[in-house]
Amino acid sequence: MTDTAPTAADQPTDPPLWSPSPSGSVSTWLKKNLFRSRLDGVVTVVAGTIILIAGFRFLRFVFVTGRWQIVRENLSLYLTGSWPEEHLWRLVVVVVGLALIAGFIGGFSAGRIDDDPSRAVSLAGRDRLVDLGSRLWPLVVTVALLLALTTTIGPLLVAAGAIVAAVAGNMAGRAVPGGMSAVPVVVGVLFLTLAGIWLLNAGLSWNSWGGMVLNLSLATISIALCFPIGVLLALARRSEYPILRWLSTGYIELFRGVPLIGLLLMANVALGFFIPNSLAPGKVVRAIVIFVLFTSAYIAEIVRGGLQSVPPGQIEAGKANGLTPIPIITRIVLPQAIRNVIPALVGQFISLFKDTTLAGAAMGLTDLLGGAEASTAQADFRGQGLIAETLVFVLLIFWAGSYTMSRESQRLETKLGVGER
Amino acid sequence: MNKPTDTDGSADPSVFADASQLANGDAPMVELVGVSKFFGDFAALTNINLKVARQEVLVVIGPSGSGKSTMIRCVNRLETHDVGRIVVDGIELSDDVRNIQAIRRETGMVFQQFNLYPHLTVLDNITLSPRLVRGQTRAAAEAKAMELLERVQIPEQAHKRPGQLSGGQQQRVAIARSLAMEPKLMLFDEPTSALDPEMINEVLEVMTDLAREGMTMVVVTHEMNFARQVADRVVFMASGEVVEVGTPEHFFTNPSEPRTQAFLSQIL
Ligand SMILES: Nc1ncnc2c1ncn2[C@@H]1O[C@H](COP(=O)(O)OP(=O)(O)O)[C@@H](O)[C@H]1O
Ligand SMILES: [Mg+2]
Repeated sequence: MTDTAPTAADQPTDPPLWSPSPSGSVSTWLKKNLFRSRLDGVVTVVAGTIILIAGFRFLRFVFVTGRWQIVRENLSLYLTGSWPEEHLWRLVVVVVGLALIAGFIGGFSAGRIDDDPSRAVSLAGRDRLVDLGSRLWPLVVTVALLLALTTTIGPLLVAAGAIVAAVAGNMAGRAVPGGMSAVPVVVGVLFLTLAGIWLLNAGLSWNSWGGMVLNLSLATISIALCFPIGVLLALARRSEYPILRWLSTGYIELFRGVPLIGLLLMANVALGFFIPNSLAPGKVVRAIVIFVLFTSAYIAEIVRGGLQSVPPGQIEAGKANGLTPIPIITRIVLPQAIRNVIPALVGQFISLFKDTTLAGAAMGLTDLLGGAEASTAQADFRGQGLIAETLVFVLLIFWAGSYTMSRESQRLETKLGVGER
Repeated sequence: MNKPTDTDGSADPSVFADASQLANGDAPMVELVGVSKFFGDFAALTNINLKVARQEVLVVIGPSGSGKSTMIRCVNRLETHDVGRIVVDGIELSDDVRNIQAIRRETGMVFQQFNLYPHLTVLDNITLSPRLVRGQTRAAAEAKAMELLERVQIPEQAHKRPGQLSGGQQQRVAIARSLAMEPKLMLFDEPTSALDPEMINEVLEVMTDLAREGMTMVVVTHEMNFARQVADRVVFMASGEVVEVGTPEHFFTNPSEPRTQAFLSQIL
């Protein structure tokens, strides 16, 4: 090998927002970027004024006028709904377990990508912390805020446990030999996820779940299910069998043509027309089914775009090289197709995550948003106009989750070298 | 080595089209009998009769659009012929998927645009088919792949991705990828046409070595020096037909068909 060892400097980073040019000063920077022309100057002044006023009012709200007592007292309602105290340990186990799994997946995929010296990105010690911090700061800030709002030591211990678990999982994931197939890992993760759902369900039937736990569960389960279904639909839509093509096209066009909330309402109140009530599944299952039906249609269209972006020469090379149709799809076409549409896919997942609030609204589940609304009707807080405080809190949590997903998808894209041919 | 030899400079293509008399009585590696191919109403190939003997190097030349690609793509069923028979190593191409797979397993193909898998490392590009089709272990397939990379003189690129390689290097990887399946026949469709001039020779050298080692090769190319020095026979195609078949000597000294003469005078 003649490759020189890659250094941290090879790692793609976002362009800095403000970098002092070596020769220039603050005033030349201002001149170059904000006041280049008269129009630029006007735009800068107007926009700057608006930002300053809005920022001032927002900060005043957060630190001065906001009455955060309602959030502080209802924190467990927002996060876990009416989760019974005696079953709290189940949640703790699952949170720590999820951190372990997330760490493991991160370490496993990083290990496999780093294993290829051509794109190795190895960061050591402090650089790694800085890297993690710059990537995950919205989550860190949100968790820190939540911890600051709690009054007991328990949550702090859980957070510490989760961090330890994530680090341990990461190291274990990196230790897996690079050549190992990903199949046992995928199966293992699926199994553990199901075990986690079962563990929670044994404590509190999931039709009684609420709060952020409900939103997160709805989102992760629906994403995990709608992705493979969407891929299959996309393949079916391009299949050479007309029946498959028609079925898939019909499905996709049907579910893309109706509003999600209409489907959720229908699953909530009109299911009785189709299935006897005794057989009808609980609300959470219904919500998941609707999310999966709806989102898989969008995923299918995104993946279809990805499939079209793979040049026909790739399939011909696979055929000429003796591969049969299934490996050609799974080893050559799909990896390239999906890589090309990661941003759109993650965008769809983010939509799904946020749309889980519709399940609360349409099906009468007390999710994070529902809990926030309910809390403003409590005897202590009723009629005090506290909806702004609760909504800001809810939106912060959704934003932190969505923004992190979006950032991580960009990072994944760079790591996989999308666009490099 | 058992190279077919030419004894006769005759212009009758049928004499040369019958490779079996040139080889030592073996069944030919490839046999096309009365093959025609249509794209809609357009006849891309008309009544092609051609045999390729074992260990023979057959170079196919002809103007753009004359059906050269279509012909060799029919041999491994990337295109489906409409009329006639194509037999590769005793297996006749039919709609039977097993026959198609059998032929593709023992036929390598090198494309003008390389068509390496961009998401896989060079090593994975080479080992994918041996592992999935031949059931080789990763270790065995990688050992063999490294050997092949030595042979095409780029072992140091094993862990890079195709996008990080020059065109000439990519094409040599593509050749190694085909060879990893231990093919009996190699098809080349203008392997150097997409390369910068300074990279053409490194690819032609690998192909020349391969020919010397006795690989059966069908090569579509515009590299007339390669045809002159390496080909056992040259085929000239125009408008979907085989116009003339002969030894390089015959072709480059006194081609008999006016169309061949016109084509050669243009490019030489
Ligand atoms: N998929 C296709 N559909 C329609 N026409 C085609 C297709 N492929 C090739 N052709 C036509 O067939 C003729 C022969 O093409 P080709 O075999 O690629 O020629 P060559 O390789 O000799 O340049 C050309 O006129 C080309 O336009
Ligand atoms: Mg061609």
